[in-house]
Parts: sequence; structure tokens; C-alpha cells
Amino acid sequence: MKLKTIKFGMLLFTLLLVANCSDDYLDVDSRAEIDAADSGDVVEPEEMVNGIYGMLTDWDYSFSYLGITEIISDNADKGSSASDTGTDKHLLDALEHTTTGPSILAMWEHWYKSIGRASIAINYTGDYGLTDHDYRDRLIGEAKFLRALNYFWLVRSFGDVPLQHIDYVVRQPKDDVYEFIEQDLLDAIELLPKKSEYASADLGRATQGAAQALLAKVYLYDEKWQDSYDMATAVVTGGDYDLFPNYEELWRESQENGIESLFEVQGRGESIAHGVQQYSQVQGARGTSGWGWGFNIPSQNLLDAFNAEGDNIRRDATIIFAGETLWDGREVSASTENPMYSEKAYSSASAGASDGDKNVRILRFAEVLLIQSEAALHVGADAATPLNRVRNRVDLESISAPTYEDIWKERRLELAFEHDRWFDIVRTGEAQSAMAANGKTFEVGKHELFPIPSLQINQTPEMTQNPNW
Amino acid sequence: MLFVSICAMAQQIEINGVVTSKNDAMPLPGVSIIIKGTSTGTTSDFEGAYSLLVNRGDQVEYSYIGFETVIITIEDETNIDVALVDDVESLSEVVVIGYGTQKRKEVTGAIASVSGAEITKQPAVNALQSIQGKMTGVNIVNTNAPGSEPNIIIRGIGTASSGSDILYIVDGVQVNSITNINPDDIETFDVLKDAASASIYGMNAANGVVIVTTKSGKKGKMKIELSSYYGAKSMLNAVEMANSSQYVRYFNENQMMSGETTFLSPDQPYDTDWYEELTDIGFSNSNNVAISGASDDIKYFFSFNNYTEDGVLDDHDYNRNTIRANNSVDLFEDRLTLSTNLSASFIKSLPKPFSAFNSAYRQAPVIPVYYESGQYGQSYWNQTTGIATYLGASTDVIGSLNSVGNPVAAVEYTNQENNTTDLQGSFQADFNITDDLKVSGRYTGTKSYSKSRSFNDTRALWLISDPTRTDEEFQINQDNNPEVTTYADNSLSYTSSESYRYNLEGFLTYDKTFNSVHNLNAVAGLSRGQRNDVFTMYALGYGVPSQENYWSINFADDGYEKVVSQYYSTPTREQSYFGRVMYNYDGKYFLQANIRRDGTSNFKNDTNEDYFDNFPAVSAGWSISNEDFFNVSFIDFLKLKAGWGQVGNSRVPFNQSTITTSTGSSSVNYVFGANQDLVFGAAYGAEILPISWEITEELNAGFNLSAFDSRLNAEFNYYNRNTKNAILLVTPIYTTEGSGSFYDHGAEVTNKGIEIDLKWRDNITDDLSYNIGAIFSTNKNNVENVKSAYDGQVGGSLGNGQITKRLEEGQPLYSWWMYDVEGVWQNQEEIDNGASISGALPGHLKYSDLNDDGIIDDKDKKFFGSYLPTYSYGLSLGLNYKNVDLIIEGYGAGGNKIYNGLKGTRINGGENIAEDVFNYRWTGEGSTNSDPGANRDSYASSYYLEDGDYFRINNITLGYTLKDVIKGVSSVRLYATAQNPFMFTKYSGFTPEIIGSSAGTGGIELSAYPTLKTFLFGVNIEL
Repeated sequence: MKLKTIKFGMLLFTLLLVANCSDDYLDVDSRAEIDAADSGDVVEPEEMVNGIYGMLTDWDYSFSYLGITEIISDNADKGSSASDTGTDKHLLDALEHTTTGPSILAMWEHWYKSIGRASIAINYTGDYGLTDHDYRDRLIGEAKFLRALNYFWLVRSFGDVPLQHIDYVVRQPKDDVYEFIEQDLLDAIELLPKKSEYASADLGRATQGAAQALLAKVYLYDEKWQDSYDMATAVVTGGDYDLFPNYEELWRESQENGIESLFEVQGRGESIAHGVQQYSQVQGARGTSGWGWGFNIPSQNLLDAFNAEGDNIRRDATIIFAGETLWDGREVSASTENPMYSEKAYSSASAGASDGDKNVRILRFAEVLLIQSEAALHVGADAATPLNRVRNRVDLESISAPTYEDIWKERRLELAFEHDRWFDIVRTGEAQSAMAANGKTFEVGKHELFPIPSLQINQTPEMTQNPNW
Repeated sequence: MLFVSICAMAQQIEINGVVTSKNDAMPLPGVSIIIKGTSTGTTSDFEGAYSLLVNRGDQVEYSYIGFETVIITIEDETNIDVALVDDVESLSEVVVIGYGTQKRKEVTGAIASVSGAEITKQPAVNALQSIQGKMTGVNIVNTNAPGSEPNIIIRGIGTASSGSDILYIVDGVQVNSITNINPDDIETFDVLKDAASASIYGMNAANGVVIVTTKSGKKGKMKIELSSYYGAKSMLNAVEMANSSQYVRYFNENQMMSGETTFLSPDQPYDTDWYEELTDIGFSNSNNVAISGASDDIKYFFSFNNYTEDGVLDDHDYNRNTIRANNSVDLFEDRLTLSTNLSASFIKSLPKPFSAFNSAYRQAPVIPVYYESGQYGQSYWNQTTGIATYLGASTDVIGSLNSVGNPVAAVEYTNQENNTTDLQGSFQADFNITDDLKVSGRYTGTKSYSKSRSFNDTRALWLISDPTRTDEEFQINQDNNPEVTTYADNSLSYTSSESYRYNLEGFLTYDKTFNSVHNLNAVAGLSRGQRNDVFTMYALGYGVPSQENYWSINFADDGYEKVVSQYYSTPTREQSYFGRVMYNYDGKYFLQANIRRDGTSNFKNDTNEDYFDNFPAVSAGWSISNEDFFNVSFIDFLKLKAGWGQVGNSRVPFNQSTITTSTGSSSVNYVFGANQDLVFGAAYGAEILPISWEITEELNAGFNLSAFDSRLNAEFNYYNRNTKNAILLVTPIYTTEGSGSFYDHGAEVTNKGIEIDLKWRDNITDDLSYNIGAIFSTNKNNVENVKSAYDGQVGGSLGNGQITKRLEEGQPLYSWWMYDVEGVWQNQEEIDNGASISGALPGHLKYSDLNDDGIIDDKDKKFFGSYLPTYSYGLSLGLNYKNVDLIIEGYGAGGNKIYNGLKGTRINGGENIAEDVFNYRWTGEGSTNSDPGANRDSYASSYYLEDGDYFRINNITLGYTLKDVIKGVSSVRLYATAQNPFMFTKYSGFTPEIIGSSAGTGGIELSAYPTLKTFLFGVNIEL
């Protein structure tokens, strides 16, 4: 008996020992994520390019971006409740923003990360070995367009900025940054198909026309007037785009990606809904009968500008007034918390949803006409015709010999709440007087540029700060 | 062999007697009575009586858990009555050290222990809640939410980003948590605090090891124990909020300062106390049955426990049933012992959002819970009339006071149900190959199932959020937008997951004494196991019928896209080899060395096959009091000890796969095409750096002392631990391509401190005894040698764009970092002439311009120490008089700061304030220079950072024991307990005990569940 039990015990131990001795026990195959080694044939270059577009749907564009493009300008006030600051929106509204403002940091970081995705996608696509070269070129063209767009937003906000491919810390002169953007766009024009050449399923991708229009705008900021004029003219005469006759309808779902659209951020309201996160909600009417937070509201100054011009069509298409009944039958109570809201951000189907169907317009044919007009005035070409096409659509009288001020005013009224106003008044030198008329003090020599965010300086103390910040 | 036995019997005599407890003179059943150096022996019966055949000159050892062992040498006297001294903390008690046990007096590391009896004296759903303040160096941050698990930190936090969970060993096996263990089933609770002790668990031991041993049957008559308690709970230390009229004044002052022209009217129809409306008395109830016993060959223990709790929020329920069976059988003349431990736990809980506590703090008292129409109150006010209502004439302007919802509605409409089942079983065989050598093998498996259901009444919630909305409007929206889920009637989701872990171990134990003075104990073995093998299924549908019985994804409206996702985790496998040698010479000189070689499959990505690392430890002790030269009469026992060891933390965060993708609404996806289809994209995620385990080294030194005839027992320890390669979460430089933060080894984290444990016990008369205990521990945490550019990680987000913490070399881990307040701006002139932050107004806080550059920015932020207590202490007092027992216990901690986020994060000026904030506010030039006015900014500043010191009486229990008064019932104990009846703190929020991660909300009160006081009544019956 005893012998038997000892044998039993030893057997037990030996079994455990043997069970423990195989070394490959720790080689566990990944089930949770696809191993990098196995994922090479899973991610297509097109997905990497889609990922760059995806950055345009981020929450930063629904709050931080509103702060540094519209709320800061004379077009808009912060809105919402007086005491709801939106972290730093009240400071932007009052032109009292600082180096620690989270809105400024958010866009600084977001633009760089978008640029990073674009550069990675360009290399990934180039190295992937696609046999269809037109397809490969198109993808690279899309990425270059998006990289240029993000660098453009960055340079007009911060001036000299680091170029990622050169150095992360050293700020390159503004001119070099513009040159890089312009080269990317010239490449994109080469590589991209026209809007009409895309398959229906690809509607919304960057087109040759979009790259031309953006380049015309970039040249305008870079004060290359002739180049700007030529590029704008190329779009105007290209035949792919035209003005849509009804300005009011332009902002509705029916006109998304329409004849006037050169580039817009896409959104869908049906499950799985995906759009610029909370864009319509943040700017929606606040209070009873409302559907949103009531941020970024039209200012009295803007309303006065519409009225002074007798520009009722664009006024009513741009502004939701408390107490009005919207085109889709929605009644906006007279008791909402703010008197006016942005109508261009309104979505009928997914008004207050966090992911909605609102396509946010980035480049429109009307703007191309105004770029053409402004550049024409500089180079002595016909500035009146393009300007008056824009004016006549909304029943305003033609101006036979427009001045710069006429064109800039037209830009304001045509493009209100399309995230350009602040950069326009800085670019044209009107900022100090425009902001003063709106009761704010624009400090010349300081407020032209946003400060480099303080957390960036914490990370890289050797990076220089903008003047007077 | 038979012959030898007969020969031996011829010389034997029979001794007999009764074993009693000296304390109360009651007979002690189940006392082990063994002839020293043999396995021959018996146990006392139910009356304490025993008889045993012995040889003259034999030494007979009487031992019983919780009592000092007595050794008697047999001469002529055969009737030997023994009275054992009850000594819970005695040095002869046995501690569980992993793959074996050790006598307390032989311990050379730092091991703290609590007995099951002490745990059940402080009834709770989780044993961790009961041991707060009972062990030095073990810092427990309690939470009183139903079914919640406290946070336990042993000797400080040594990691910035990795798992800080301690390792639980239940009956020898590693498990994830002890939420499924019924506290009544626990026999002993041992904590391996220092690395020299914990390194036997190698790569998983860096956060400390808790060893839980569950009960087993003891020899003697079958024991049936019944116990029940019933408790009522309510909020301790509730903050007094401003009432309607105070709120109106405060609100109007703010409006005035903001230049607004609309004001609240002083005549408001409602004055709501939101906490009163939100909470009610909570209840808890526990019923326990345990049956145990043992014959010569078989031991058994069965128990059943039902625990139910209804929290202070409506319908915040928790229900747990646990079943346990721990049985063993001895075979082949006791050479082989087979044992099984089986337990099952079934938990059902209805969680409720803790954010309701936050909303209740913030929602204005002028807002009603319900309007007269029966609709839920929301923060509307008529700016024309100044009345807080959504009603008004058509030209009136209706605004919102704030963006806080109705907390009562939030609780009511949170409809979630979680069910969890845990099945755990082990089978163990121990075989004595020789008298000295034992081989043990065991298998343990744990299977867990959980199912969570969440129902969201979208239609009702849409209606609730605005009383002017109508059902018809919703219907129109729904009809116009058939596929838009915003207007679906409801949504329903199920998450179901199951997981399995197992462990297989085999080890040899050699235990022998040579020449009566060389005592050797050696263990060597192997272990392998797999954990984190999880299968999860998620399904989401919209528009199910409203009746609960039809809540199934099958009945969801097909007009909406259903979402189904499934997930498999990658299991973690571990393989280990371990060994330990313990040697002592004659009970004077002790030496212990152990080593564990651990390998974990998680580290595959590292340098290919390099899974393994070794974790060594050595420690030594010297019992000076056993030396001949030691001659201090009042000291009974004095031992010096020191040890060094290395432990690891394998629960490190890995840098995720380089490619980020998503199947939902995400910023890698986009919409394309005339039909606006969702198209998937991809992007490179964070930078991929190889991550290895964290290694912690620790030095421990101390002494144990027993003096004045064992009335005083003391232990002192000093520790110095260093996590040499702590992992940091690094934010990439903003201008780089890499998005998302990544992990890298980049700093050292040190923890140093002392621990003092004092216990005094004495009997004044035979009827009256008392004991007093005090523990005290300190902890100093520091971050050192940070890799360049890795410094400066910020954390402690308040959710309003403000951060409060920063990781910096030379400071404690994630120290508070914010503006330093030096006063209140009294007038505009002061602001114009001083360094002010943008938007400063009179009445705002004035921040110090620390670098004197005339601007207030990040460079002016200052470090303010840690959110973790730097010291903690516990006090206990016990008194026994005849049948009455009284226990008073208290716990305190301090040296830290707590951020009152409830007070300091007013996103919106229309939120309510504490009454004190109203009373002490700045009201005009010269009124005060310490508190800001009604119009204030929301920057994080030292104004809201308060001392976290507190002392809480956490237990007062009065018990009365009846013995043998009813036939068939051997004892009945009735008791009444007050848990947390008093708290002493200067902190102005609800509780300075706040659970959260170091980089996250640790130490920030935002949505914390308040501390509760509980009054309970219970009865323990022994049959």
C-alpha cells in the first residue's frame, strides 16, 4: 500500500512537471488586435487617405475652431448663457485670449496631427506598390490637398510655423511655409481628377477644382495677385462649377455637394451617423424649443451690416431669429436664450444630434468669384463682373467700379459664418477699425497672430513666441 | 512495523483533562494536542475534554488558532487541565506566506495579518472595507456605493501609468479580486508588504500581495453558525447648500458684475433641497449560514450567504449570493490529503449614475423636481419676469440658469441591470513522501459570466429635457427622419462577456530539524496559468417595445441599423519557477532567501522571446531576546530583522497596434458618395516603443517586540522602495505626426516610510479585560531621474478645460500644480496696476505672479504636494466585561490635499453653491481678501485645494453574548454597530476619501459617492 501511494504521489508530481516544461507555452497569438506583422495586407492606402479626411470631423472643429474663426471676429458673439464661458470663448470674444487658451492649443495640435496623417498617407501610398497609377496619383493628390489645407489654416493663424518634414521645433519663415503649401497644391492640381471625373461613390473627395480654388486663396494671402487671378480664373472658366441661383437653399441638405460646392466636410445623419461632431448642436438655439448650446451667435454688428446693405436674402439665410418659423416648419420660440443663431450651421434632420448630416462648406464658387475680383483689382483686370455675379444673385445692384472695400464687404456678407472673417480683417488690415466698431480693442502688432500655445513652449522651451505674447 | 507499534504501546500511559480558555474559562473544543516531534495526537472534544496515550518524558503540545501554544512535559501526573491564553496577536500565530506558512516570530519580512473574526466584527460586503485602519502601511480608500470595491495602496504608489492593483491570492491561487468572496468565509487575511516577502510572487507582486485563506472544518462536534445583520445608511457630512433666496442673491450679484441686465426675482415659487430629494435612507442586510466540522479523515465546511443592499439613491440595488464548500479527505494513513475548494457567487446589481451627486450640488434650488404639470424641472428661467419657469408671455425671453440636468430624472431614467456569476474551484493533492518531504499539486479554475443590459428611453428623455416639448413634436421628428436614431423611441443594448482563468501548480516542501537546533524549510516548485481570456459580445438596437418582457434585440425596429460587435481578448499566459529556503539556528538567527523566475506572454513583442526575469530576495532576523546575554526582565521577545528584494509589475500598458481603425463614428472614418455612405479609414496611432515589466526594489528593516508578560506587542518597520523603470504616459510633442500619447519607461518612483504598530492587552480581573491598539504609518513619494522631455505630463482634468496635476522630477507622483492665490482683487485700479489674468474683475481671485513677469500664465503655477496621504493612523479600543463586549475603532489620514472640484468647477455661473460659499463671499471693496465674489473665474487654483486630513470613528460596536441559555444553542451574540458615526475634518466637501487614478481624478471631488454612516443590528448564533 505504502509503495503504491508513493508511486501515486510521484506520478502526480511528474505529470505537473511535464505539463510545465514546454517552452512555447508563452507564445500566445494575438486575438484582440491584428498584429502589425499581419496587418500589412489589411490597410489599403485609400484607408490611410480617408483617415486624413476623418480629422475634419473632429470635435475641435465644433468648438475650438468656432472660437478662433468667428467668435473672435466682429461677425459673432460667444452666445450661450452669459456665465457659460465655453472655457476660453469669452476671452476670444473679448480679444483677451492668452497663451494658455485651450481653443488655440486644440487647433494647433489638431492641424499638426492632420498634416502628420497626410504625410504618412503620401509615403504609405507611394511605397505600397499600387499598380493602377492613376488611382495612386489621385490618392497622393488628395493627401497633398489636405496637407496644404491644414498648413494654410496653420500659417494664417500663427505666422512662421515649423514644417514637419524639416524640424518639429524650428519655426520656418512664413514665406517658406506658403511656398510649401503652393507646391503641394500645384502637385495636387496635376494629380487630381475633376469633380465630374469621380465615380458617384467618391463624391466629396478633393478635386482638381478644389485644389485650384484653394491655391487661388493661398496666393491671395501670399499677395501673389497675378497667380491668384489666374488660378481663380481657371476655376471660373473651367465649367465644372457655377453659382446656385437660390442663396437660401444653398445651406440645406438638398444642395450638399451641389454645383457651387468645391470642397465641403461630409456628414450623414442615419445610423451609423457621422459628421463634424456636434457642429450643429453647439450652434443650435438654446433654451425652450431649442436644440443646442447656442454658441457662436451672429452679432448686432453683422446684422447692422446686412441691413445697411439692404441684403435681406443673405441676412435671412445666415441668421435664425428668435421667434421665426424656419423653412422646414420648425418654430423657434421667441423665448430662446439668445436673439440670433447661425443658420448656416442648422441641420433640419439632425438639429441637436451629436453626429449629424450637416456638410460644412469649406470652399464655394462664390468665394472663387470674390477672389478673382480682388486679385483682378490688383492686376488691373475686370473686378466688377465676378463681384456683380455674386451680388446679383441676392438681388443687390451691380457696382461698376468696385473698390477693395466693396469686395471685402461682399466677402463679409457672402461668407459670414464660414470661418473666414477674422483672417480676412487681419489680412486686409481692417482688423483694428472693424473690431473697434464692434467695441473691442485690437492690439496692432500682437493680435494679428495667435500665440504659440504655452504647453508647446513647455514641451520645447526653445521654440520662439510670437511678437508681444 | 506492526511490531514496533506494539513495543511502543507497552510503555505508554494515558493522560486526560480539559482544555479551557483562560480568558473566560469556557471549554475549548478542537484544540490540537500532539506529542512534539511526532504526528501522534488528538483534539479536544466539544466539552474541551481529551485523552491521549503518551510516554513519560514526552512533550505534549496544546495548540489552537488564536491562542498561545502550551507545551507540557509528561511526568507522573496524568490528569492535566490546560488553560490557554487567548492571544490574537501573539507571536506564535501562523502567517501565510505563499506556498507555505511561517510562525509570526520567525518572520523576517513585513507581513500584516487580520483574522477572520476581526473582519466580521466590521460587517461589509467586501472584506477590504473592514480592514481599514487595522494594518500599518496598508492604505485603504473606502467607498460606500453598493457593491463597490475600495482602493487599496500598500506602501505608496510606485507606478505612474501601470496597473496599481494588488495581487490577491485566495487559497494559494492568484485571482483578480475578492468581490466574490463572502467576508464570513475568511479565516485569515495576510498582507505581504515588503519585497523580500512578496518576491515569491515575482512579476505580479510590485503593488503588494494579499493572501486570503478561507475557512475549513475543525475537529470536534459539527459547528453550525447562523448570523444576520440589518443596517440603515445615510449620508455622513452632507454639505449644506444655499437655499433659494441665497441663490437668487448670489446669482443676481454675478449678473450685475457680468454687466447683464436680467435678474432673478426674489419671489421664487420653489426652494428645492436637491440632496434631500435625491437620496433616501439606504439599507443593507446579510444572512449567513456556515456548517463545519471534521472527523479523523474528513474535514468539511459549507456556507451560504445572501447580501442585499439598497443604496441611498433610489433603486440603486445590489444583491449577492455566495456558496462555498471547502472539503478535504486524508487517505493512506494520512499520507495523502485531497482537498477541494468550490465557491460560486451570483451578483445582480442595478447601477445608478454617481454624476447625480454632482448635479444635485449644482442644480439651482429655485428649480423644482417637478413642475405643477408633473413634468420634470429643468433650469429654465423667464428673464423678463425673473421667475424660474419655462412659462411666460410670448414675448418673454426664456433662458437657462445653467446646463445641469435634473438629477432625480437622471437616476429615474437610468435603466441598467448587471448580472455576474463567478464559479471558482480548486483541487489539491498533498502527499507526504517521507515525514519531511511533501509534494503538492493543484489546479484552480475560475469562470466568470457577466451580462449587462441598458435601456434608454430616448423619447421620454427628449421630452424631459424641455417641458415645452410635446409627444406630437417627437412623433413628427420621428416620421420625418425615419433612420435617425436621435428620434428612435428608445435604444437597448446588451453586453455579455465570459472569461476563464486557470492555474496549475506543483511544489515540493522539505521541513526538517537537524540536531534540534538547525531548522530548515525549503520549497521549490513550478506554476503556469492563463488569465484574461475574455469573450465579449455587444448588441444594440432601437425601438423595442416598451414592456420590459420584450426587451430583446430581436424585437428592435428593423428601420434602424442594429449594431453587433464581438471581441476576443488576447489571453495572458504565465510560467514560473520558484524556490525558497528558510533556515534558523535555534530560534535565534534567521535567514530566508527566495527567488522566482517569471515569464509572461504579454512581453512577446519585446525582444522576441525574452519573456522571463528573475526576482530574488533575501532577509535575516536575530532574536536578541533568545541570547544568553540578553537580560532585560520586562522584555519577553525582541527580534531585529532586515531584508531586500525585487518584485515586478507585469500589468503594464502596452503601446497599441500602430494602425487605428474604427467601425463607428470616429475621426478615422469619413462619409463619401452621393448616398453619403460611411467609409472606413485608418491612421497611424501612437509611437510604438517596446515596453517591459516595471521592477521595484525594496529595503525593509525593523523589529518585533513583546514585553510586560506579552501585554505589549509592538512592531516597527522602515521601508525604502524604488520602482526603477516606471512607465510614463508621454504626450508626443504637439508638432509631431504622432497622435495619441504613448508609453515609455522614463522615471524612478520612490516610496519611503515608517510603520509603527502597538498593541496592549490586559486582564484587570477575571471578568474584565481590555485592549488598546494604535498603528501609524508614513509614506513619502517622489519622482526621480525623469528622462528628458518626459517631464511635465499633466493630469487631474476637471472636465472644464482645467488641469490640476503635473508629473515632475523632485515632486510626488502627479503633484498638484496650479495658481497660487494671494488674495482677492478689490477694485479695477488694482487689476490695472497688477499682474492679472485675462478677464480679471474685482472680486476675482488674485493669483501670484511667481516669476514677476507681469503676466499670469503656466509659469506661475506652483506645486502643492500629493493627493495621497503622507501619514495614516488607526486607533482601537476593546473592552470585555463578563458577557458584554465593546469595540471602538477610528481611522485617520492626512498630509495630503484634496481639490474641491464641486466648489471650484462652476462651468456656468448659474450653478448652486454651498451655503458657506454664499456666506463668506466677497461683496464689494474691502469686504474680504480671502474669498472671491459671486462673479468668479474657474481657473484651478490653491483656493479650492484643501487639507485632506481627517479622522473618522469607523466602528462602535456593543455586543452581548449568551452562552448555553437555550437548549441546543451554544451561544448567541447580539450586537449593535455604528459604522462611521463621526468624521472630523476641515475639508468643506462631502468626503476627503476619493478614489481615482493618479493621473486622473484621484483626490478630486467631482462625482464622488458620499461617505455613509451605517447603523446596524446583528445576531450570531452558534448551534
